[in-house]
Amino acid sequence: MTASGDGPDPFTVIRSQSGPDRDQVNPPGTGTLGFAVLLASLSVLFVASVAGYLYVRINASQWPPAGMPGLPMSLWLSTAVLLGCSVFIHRALKAIQKDDQKGLRRNLQWTLVLGSLFLVLQTLNYVGLAQSNLTAKTNLYGFTFYLLTGLHAAHVIGGLIPLIIVTHRARRGRYSSFFHPGVTYSAMYWHFLDGAWVVLFAVLLIGS
Amino acid sequence: MSSATDHAEESNYLNAKPGLMSWLTTLDHKRIGVMYLISILTAFFIAGMLAMLVRTELLTPGRTIVDPDTYNQFFTLHGAIMVFMFIIPGIPAALGNFVLPLMLGAKDVAFPRLNLMSWYLWVFGGVFAVVSMVTGAVDTGWTFYTPYSTDTSTSVINMTLGVFILGFASIFTGINFVVTIHKLRPAGMTWWRMPLMLWGLYATAIIQVLATPVIGITMLLLIAERTLGVGIFDPALGGDPLLYQHFFWFYSHPAVYIMILPAMGVISELISVHSRKTIFGYQAIALSSVAIAAFSFIVWGHHMFTAMSPMANMVFSALTFSVSIPSAVKTFNWLATLYRGHIRLNTPMLYALSFLFLFGIGGLTGLFLGTLAVDVHLHDTYFVVAHFHYVMFGGTVIAFLGGLHHWWPKMFGRMYNEGLAKLACFLIFIGFNITFMSQFIMGSLGMPRRYYDYIDAYGSYHVWSSIGAYIMAVGFFLTAGYLIHSLIAGKKAVENPWGAATLEWRTASPPIEHNFHETPDANYPYDYSVNRFNPDTGNYDHIGAPAQEDDDRAVGFHGHGLESTT
Ligand code: HEM
Ligand SMILES: [Cu+2]
Repeated sequence: MTASGDGPDPFTVIRSQSGPDRDQVNPPGTGTLGFAVLLASLSVLFVASVAGYLYVRINASQWPPAGMPGLPMSLWLSTAVLLGCSVFIHRALKAIQKDDQKGLRRNLQWTLVLGSLFLVLQTLNYVGLAQSNLTAKTNLYGFTFYLLTGLHAAHVIGGLIPLIIVTHRARRGRYSSFFHPGVTYSAMYWHFLDGAWVVLFAVLLIGS
Repeated sequence: MSSATDHAEESNYLNAKPGLMSWLTTLDHKRIGVMYLISILTAFFIAGMLAMLVRTELLTPGRTIVDPDTYNQFFTLHGAIMVFMFIIPGIPAALGNFVLPLMLGAKDVAFPRLNLMSWYLWVFGGVFAVVSMVTGAVDTGWTFYTPYSTDTSTSVINMTLGVFILGFASIFTGINFVVTIHKLRPAGMTWWRMPLMLWGLYATAIIQVLATPVIGITMLLLIAERTLGVGIFDPALGGDPLLYQHFFWFYSHPAVYIMILPAMGVISELISVHSRKTIFGYQAIALSSVAIAAFSFIVWGHHMFTAMSPMANMVFSALTFSVSIPSAVKTFNWLATLYRGHIRLNTPMLYALSFLFLFGIGGLTGLFLGTLAVDVHLHDTYFVVAHFHYVMFGGTVIAFLGGLHHWWPKMFGRMYNEGLAKLACFLIFIGFNITFMSQFIMGSLGMPRRYYDYIDAYGSYHVWSSIGAYIMAVGFFLTAGYLIHSLIAGKKAVENPWGAATLEWRTASPPIEHNFHETPDANYPYDYSVNRFNPDTGNYDHIGAPAQEDDDRAVGFHGHGLESTT
């Protein structure tokens, strides 16, 4: 666990309230465990939505309903881009574990770029579908599609903001092989986003 | 502690920092626990007053004090506020927050900021819920069943948004407790030497983390359905209302174990400490908490027996029965602990005994309802209302009250008036049984729940039920009175007035700000030979475990139990 470099850090040390007595240093791995539990909780959100989708899908007679567009092919492109995020964030983590500051910065920046690109692509998908008259209000087909992908997109946005901060800190050389909790958490989070997307996409593909 | 008389009194967590701001920005788990306590008791008061209004309306058939629509709003708000703002956060966030790190000999939970954020989310969610009271209160029942909840003009969105936010407050508490228990156990405290209260909180935390997101998504879907007008639940728009019920109960059945598991943890402590006897069947009680948590995820269908296929019904019915096994395991172990113990009939123990009786009735009537053929008759009658009040009130609220009295001296450093406390406990116990026993009877006779009007045949049961409710109210006001009085004029509490062997009693009452001067070493939490009563101070002084017992108790001293797997 110590190897992940999330040992004592400002995040897990309780800031002093009344002098040194209140400082409690959490043992190594505490932050990582907390983050893993959080991700377990978030994944339930996706599992429940997928279950809801399947329930609707199984009860539907025709899917997609007559006259409705199928899944946009560009979802494959989004998938590739998101997988790229996972690769780069993984390389960023490997870099800082070897104290390679340049590698860390470069890979984090690439993750940021691809993450943002993913959001742009998803927006284009939405615009395209809306032009073929499929919005969340059209029918359950539209609603479930926007629900699943929208829930995921919201989590991507929620991942980009901390990633910007981590990248900024990396530029200022705040991390080292001993201390890089932000990078560890980011890596966990982007792998999670990736996994969630692959499952969602597979379910959508099988559904239609 | 006895030498504290000659120099100025040591500061404690209550007075170490003055001013409201120091409370609102505190990271101290004890202060957050106290803030949660005040908050949930406020919610309990509001929801309790609504219950009094409901019972008063039902004193006579037809109109008594309000019109039918207002009546619908009263019982909806009563249920929703009680469940989401009082009982679910009740024991974990208020009592749990206070005692969990102390029981571990730790300075705080693993993530104090997250802990404070949880409280703010509770307040924020609570504001939404309460605002909905004045902007056309919801009238759907606490379950917000569709399609009615998508059609009614009342402020469903406010309330469901409130529930959504309250869910995150609950998740944050859960994350904190899971991690704290995994990571901050002191040297010598293996999993098998952990107080049962902590096993209860741990099992609860797992459910909080893994079930609560489902209610989140359910509430979001409901809001989307109301604002967008797409009917994932509304049959008129191609949706299926049964899906809503699956979603809702997939959370809300586990949620009843979020309510009861910490209560069982409290009861395990109370029974052992106040019968001065080591707990019987420690491992069985600990493991049954985990078993209940696991089972709780697979029985939700028993709320929908009258709406599903026969095959699904049979499966859910069988699973429902299996849940009662771990509950029974606990109950028999508690009884065996009491057997030949040196029982002290003080207020915490009276509450613990009330719990055994009332929860017993609640659980057994659950088995009636889990039986398909019977449930078809009893579903949506007052029998169900009585069942869940016996488990939620007779179980959770009674355990909460017992725990509150047990830890009150530790929390505030004062003793309450024992005579008045016993009287209040008695009033609540009697009032409770009058209120809900009559509901069992009228329910089995066919009185449907949630009705505003009823035929004369049910009249006397309703009158009795209301009288019982008023008796309970007297008990609660009395409790509030002597507890508040104790803060001002109560006798000072010693460090360990009950002779308990868990670590929270090894520091001052109330504890110092950082909990312990020195991290205490953990003994087996139910080994009462570590204390000796001091008749001069009334305190049970810690003398440590006798040497020969150390050998078998210190097994796994170096191991942190499951640590290696994390
Ligand atoms: C042995 C354990 C239990 C069994 C077998 C059981 C069984 C049941 C069944 C079958 C129902 C549905 C009745 C119907 O709607 O027709 C029910 C309702 C309910 N139970 Fe339990 N139960 C048990 C324990 C608990 C506990 C521990 C709690 C809470 C602390 C609880 C809270 C509720 C609530 C709130 C409802 C009704 C919800 C509503 O429709 O508004 N139950 N129970
Ligand atoms: Cu249930």
